[in-house]
Amino acid sequence: MNTQQGFPSTDDLAAEYVLGTLSATRRRMVEQRLPTDAALQAAVHSWQEQLLPLAALAEPVEPSEALWQRIDRSVAHAVAPRRAAILAAPPPWWDRLGLWRGLAGAGFATAAILASVLVTRQGGYDMLPAGPQYMVVLVAPQDKAPGWVVQASDTRQLSLTALGTVALPAEKSLQFWTKGEGWNGPVSLGLVKPGQTITIPLDKLPPLQPNQLFELTLEPVNGSPINRPTGPIQFIGRAVKVL
Amino acid sequence: MEPPLTTAPDDFDYERALHGCARGERHALQEIYQQDSRHLLGVALRIVRQRQQAEDVVHDAFMNIWTQAASFDARRGSGRGWIYSVVRNLALNAVRNGAREVSVDEETAEALDAQHSLEAHAEVADAFDLRVSLGKLNDCLARLEPARRNCILYAYVDGCSHGEIAKRTQTPLGTVKAWIQRSMGSLRECMA
Repeated sequence: MNTQQGFPSTDDLAAEYVLGTLSATRRRMVEQRLPTDAALQAAVHSWQEQLLPLAALAEPVEPSEALWQRIDRSVAHAVAPRRAAILAAPPPWWDRLGLWRGLAGAGFATAAILASVLVTRQGGYDMLPAGPQYMVVLVAPQDKAPGWVVQASDTRQLSLTALGTVALPAEKSLQFWTKGEGWNGPVSLGLVKPGQTITIPLDKLPPLQPNQLFELTLEPVNGSPINRPTGPIQFIGRAVKVL
Repeated sequence: MEPPLTTAPDDFDYERALHGCARGERHALQEIYQQDSRHLLGVALRIVRQRQQAEDVVHDAFMNIWTQAASFDARRGSGRGWIYSVVRNLALNAVRNGAREVSVDEETAEALDAQHSLEAHAEVADAFDLRVSLGKLNDCLARLEPARRNCILYAYVDGCSHGEIAKRTQTPLGTVKAWIQRSMGSLRECMA
């Protein structure tokens, strides 16, 4: 491993991510890179398969009777899985972008396609206010399936639009975060509900910048108790300047 | 069709079950639970070490399996591997995010470097019974010295951090890090 500058190779990083020895910070770094780094993804998948036999070394433990009931209840209360939800609902315009799944790794292309679709929907370029336009497609880390879109018509506010609906475990919520270049850590933009569309003022934050990170993490029902992400990333993306 | 309670992993069709989940079929999720919940809880419990927290991990994992089954891609790995990874990642995130304090801080562990020599590790017994069939992985692990093999297994099976392994094996932290790094390199070559 080339750790001289603290930058291990992709495969070394994948190996220790799967082995489990990375720190929380490094684990988050890997999870943030996974959606857009095909080489890292391939390495992680390969190690997962190769080390899987070791799981047999953990002796089986009989779950409590209540565990399945609890899972079943959570599933029943949760909305249907993403794909089922999309198929069941009248196809909205973005359903055509089911083809997004074929654009794996092409986050920028996805954003560009989506931007053009949105521009079309809004009646053309002339209807858009002047100034920088930013677009973020938030994708699930594991498969890059798009779940939410962030749009900013100016740098002072943004909208978060759900592309479908997701199921949340009982007693959990989705918290929205952003982090720009050089910031000390992610800043909370509040809790969001599955399927929700909201507008968020950014007046307490620096102006939006290209490549700014946005993510939705799974947190306790009232949000992260320590004002930084603690739960797994559900959706993640980076701001792309459009036009 | 009711699945039998225990099906050998080779016989259970994980991919079909995951596709069922993706279509919203709740019995498909239940089949996975019946097939693997004991093993998945065992995996989670070894990592988080608290029964209630382990059940929480399995609960959250099954919610993730249910909601993210559509994202499973059989071209990138097995369904069984995907399911176990969901559980392991949730368990590892839980312990790495501070639920379990690292028993040895890095400086203390680095200081052990001065006190220990590698000679102390000449005679090390295997900490894990490797009689379970691990296939080719078993052959590759067998090529590692027992002390190094133990580091890999403490990490994967018990979810130990570098610091925890250093403490558990009374080995300097730098040595543990180097062993793991080189052992993973050896495994990579051996498995290729």
